[in-house]
Amino acid sequence: MAETILQTVALRRTFGPLVAVDNLDLRVEKQQFYGFLGPNGAGKSTTIKMLTGLLRPTSGQVHLLGRNLATDSVEIKRRIGVVPEGLALFERLTGAQLLNFVGRMYGLDRATAATRSAELLEFMDLQDSADKLVADYSHGMKKKTALAAAVIHGPEILFLDEPFEGVDAIAATTLKRLLQRFITHGGTVFLTSHVLEVVERLCTHIGIIQQGRLVASGSLEELRSGVKVPGHEHSPLTLEEIFLQVVGGAKQDAEVLSWL
Amino acid sequence: MNSLRRPNRGVELGFQALWFFFGAIFVLATSSAFFFGAIGLLKIERADLLDLLLWAVFLVWQLAPILFEGYSPGLSFREVARYPISFRTYFLLSSVYGISDPAAVTCLLWLLSMWMGILVQQPGWALAAALALLLFAVFNLLLNRIVIGLFERFQSTRRGRERMVFLMFILILLPQFLQFATGYWSNMRMLKPPAWVLQALTPLREFSPPGVATRMFALNTLPELWPPGALLLYAGFTALLFRWQLRAIYQGEIYAESYKVRRKLKVRQGWRLPLLDEVTAAIIEKELRYIRQSSRILLQLIYPPVIFMLIAFNGTGRKLFFSRSPEALLGGMAGFILLSVPNMAYNIFGVDKEGFGRWLLCPPSLRKVLLGKNLTQGGILAALFLLAEAVVIAISHPRVLPTAIVTVAFFAILVIQFGVGDLVSIYWPKRVELTQMNSKVVSNAAGIASLLVMLAVSTLGGMVALVTWYLQLPWLPLLFSLAILAASLKLYSYLLDRAARYIWEHIEEITGNLGA
Repeated sequence: MAETILQTVALRRTFGPLVAVDNLDLRVEKQQFYGFLGPNGAGKSTTIKMLTGLLRPTSGQVHLLGRNLATDSVEIKRRIGVVPEGLALFERLTGAQLLNFVGRMYGLDRATAATRSAELLEFMDLQDSADKLVADYSHGMKKKTALAAAVIHGPEILFLDEPFEGVDAIAATTLKRLLQRFITHGGTVFLTSHVLEVVERLCTHIGIIQQGRLVASGSLEELRSGVKVPGHEHSPLTLEEIFLQVVGGAKQDAEVLSWL
Repeated sequence: MNSLRRPNRGVELGFQALWFFFGAIFVLATSSAFFFGAIGLLKIERADLLDLLLWAVFLVWQLAPILFEGYSPGLSFREVARYPISFRTYFLLSSVYGISDPAAVTCLLWLLSMWMGILVQQPGWALAAALALLLFAVFNLLLNRIVIGLFERFQSTRRGRERMVFLMFILILLPQFLQFATGYWSNMRMLKPPAWVLQALTPLREFSPPGVATRMFALNTLPELWPPGALLLYAGFTALLFRWQLRAIYQGEIYAESYKVRRKLKVRQGWRLPLLDEVTAAIIEKELRYIRQSSRILLQLIYPPVIFMLIAFNGTGRKLFFSRSPEALLGGMAGFILLSVPNMAYNIFGVDKEGFGRWLLCPPSLRKVLLGKNLTQGGILAALFLLAEAVVIAISHPRVLPTAIVTVAFFAILVIQFGVGDLVSIYWPKRVELTQMNSKVVSNAAGIASLLVMLAVSTLGGMVALVTWYLQLPWLPLLFSLAILAASLKLYSYLLDRAARYIWEHIEEITGNLGA
C-alpha cells in the first residue's frame, strides 16, 4: 500500500457566518500529482493555506508526512515547499539574494545555499536577472522565483496555489519540467489551478471542491468512470466535461445574454 | 473610503476625522491670512507685493500634489482613455479632474480669499482682479496636470519612483539642514544672494504668471494690454502643452521599464556573523540588505544623529542645555537616537509586505525572526550611539558616572522600545510603500503608542532625577538604570513571546493589513 503523505480529517474553516471549507477529508499518497480544482470562491486557497500553516482551521486536523500539523509544524515546514497565492517574496532582495536567504532559513549551509541558488536560477532561465531586485521582475519571473524558493531545500511535498496563473507558455513549460522532475525523484505535488488542460496533462489524481465541500476525488480514470454524460458513452470525457458535470456550473447559451 | 473596510477601521476612522479637522482648520487659517494679507498690502499701498501671495499659491498648487501624492485622488487617466470617449471629452475631464485635488481646492480658496480682500479694500479692482485670478487659476490647473503627467512618466519605473522619493526628502530636509548647519537664521546673511542676482530676478518676477496677474489687478487705473495678453498667453500655451501630452496618452502611449541585461551569474555565499547561528545571521543579512537597498530607510536612519551633531556643534545648539556639558551632550544624542526607534521598530514587517508570508512558511520560529530583526535595527542604533559616545569621550572627556548612567539608560530604553515595538508592529501593522512620498512608516496608532512610551520613560526619568536631587545620591540613577535594564530584558523576552503568539492567533488580520 502506498504511503499516505497528506491526510485531512473533517477540516473546517469559517469566516463569521461563511463556511469556506466544510468537513474536508483529503488523502494524498506519495508521488501523486494531486490537482485540487473548484470554481472561484469554492475554498481552494483557504484549504491550501490551512494545509501549509498559513491559516488556522476552525476545526479538524491536518496530518502531513505522518505528523500532526498543529503540534509538529516546525518539523513539517522543513519538509514541505510552498508557492502561496501572494508568492511571499521579499521584493527588495535580488533573485540570487532571495534564494540564498530562503535556503539558509531552511537550514542549508552557506555553500550549499549558494550553489543551489545558482543552479535554480540557471534552470529557471533567470541567470540574466539574478542581480536585479525581485520588485523589478515580471509576474512570470516572480512565479519561477517563488517555485525555486519552494524547492531549494529539497522538500518531500510541494503545495502550489495557482502556479500557472498569469504565466507565459515558456515559463509554464519550465515550471512543468521542474514539477515532473520533482515527481520522478519521489516528490509529491498538491496544486490548485484554473487551467484544466494543464491539470489534465500533469495530474495523476484530482479532487474537486465546491462550496467548501469535496464533491469528487480520485484518479482521472476513476472520475471518468464515475461521471456519466449523455452522448459520451463510448468516448472518454475530458477533465473540463467532468468538472462542469460535477460542479454543474455550465449555463446553456439560450439562458444568458440573449442580446449578445 | 475603502481604507475603512479594513480591520481596526474604528481607530483609522478616528484618525482620519482628526486629520480632516486639522486640515479644515489649516485651510481656514491660511485663507484668512490671504484675505487679511491682501487687505494689509493694499492698505499700505504695496499692491506690487500681492504677487508674493500668488507665488505661494503657484508653488503649493504645483508641488503639494507631488509631495503628498497619496492624499490626491488616484484616478489614472491612462485607464479612462480605454473607455469610448472622444478626445475633447477626455481633455475636458482630465483638466477638470485636477480641481478635486486637496491642494487645488486649498489654492482656489486662497485665491477667493485674496479676491475678497481686494473687494473690501479696493472695490474698483474687483472685476479685473476676478478675471486675472480666474486666468491664473486656469493656468495653474493645467500646468499642474502637465506636472502630474511628467511625474507619472518618471514614476513608471521603480527606480524612478525611489529616486523621486529620495529627492523629495532631500528637498524637504534641506532647509532644516541649512538652518542647523549655519546656526540661527540670522547667520543666513552669509547665504544672501548678491545684488546682481536679485537684479536679474526682477524681470522674471515682473513677467512671471504671478507678476502679470498682479499687474492686471489695476487694469482700470492703469490700462495696459500686455498683462492680460501675457496671462492669456501663459494659459493658452499651457493648454496646448497639456493637449499635446494628453493626446499621446489618449493614443495609447505607455511608459515601459527598461532593463540592463547582465549575463554573468554569480551567487555569493551568505554572511557569517560571529556568535550568531546561521539562521539569525541570514535574517540580519536580509534586514541589512533591505536597509541598504532603500535610500529612504537609510536617510531616515542617519538623519536624526546627523542633525543632532549639527545642532550640538553649531550656533543653534550652543544655547541649548545639551551643549553646555559633554554629559548633557551625550544624553541629548541618546535621546535623539531613541526618538528614531519607532520609525523602524514600530512596524517591523511594514517593508516586507508580501514577504511577511515567507516568515510564516519557513521553519524558524517567529520569536527568532523578531529577535533577528530587533538585533539588526538595535545593533545599528547602538553602534551609532557608541560611535557618538566615543567621539564625545575623545573630545570632551565627560565624567565617568554620568557617562555610565546615560549609556545604561540608553540601552534600557532601547530594549523597552524594541519590545513594545514588536507588539505594536503586529497589533497595528501597516504596509509601507517606499515609492510613495506620503506612505508613513508606521500606523497612526503606532505613532500614539510611541508617544505614550516616551512619556512614560520621561516621567520615570524625571522622578528619578527628583529623588536623586532630593536625597543627594548621585549614584542613584545608575543603580536605577541598571535595575531598569535588567527588568527591560525580562520584559523584552516576555513581549517577544507574546508577539510571536499573537501573530499565529491573528494571521489573517496581519496578512490582510500587510497585503501578504
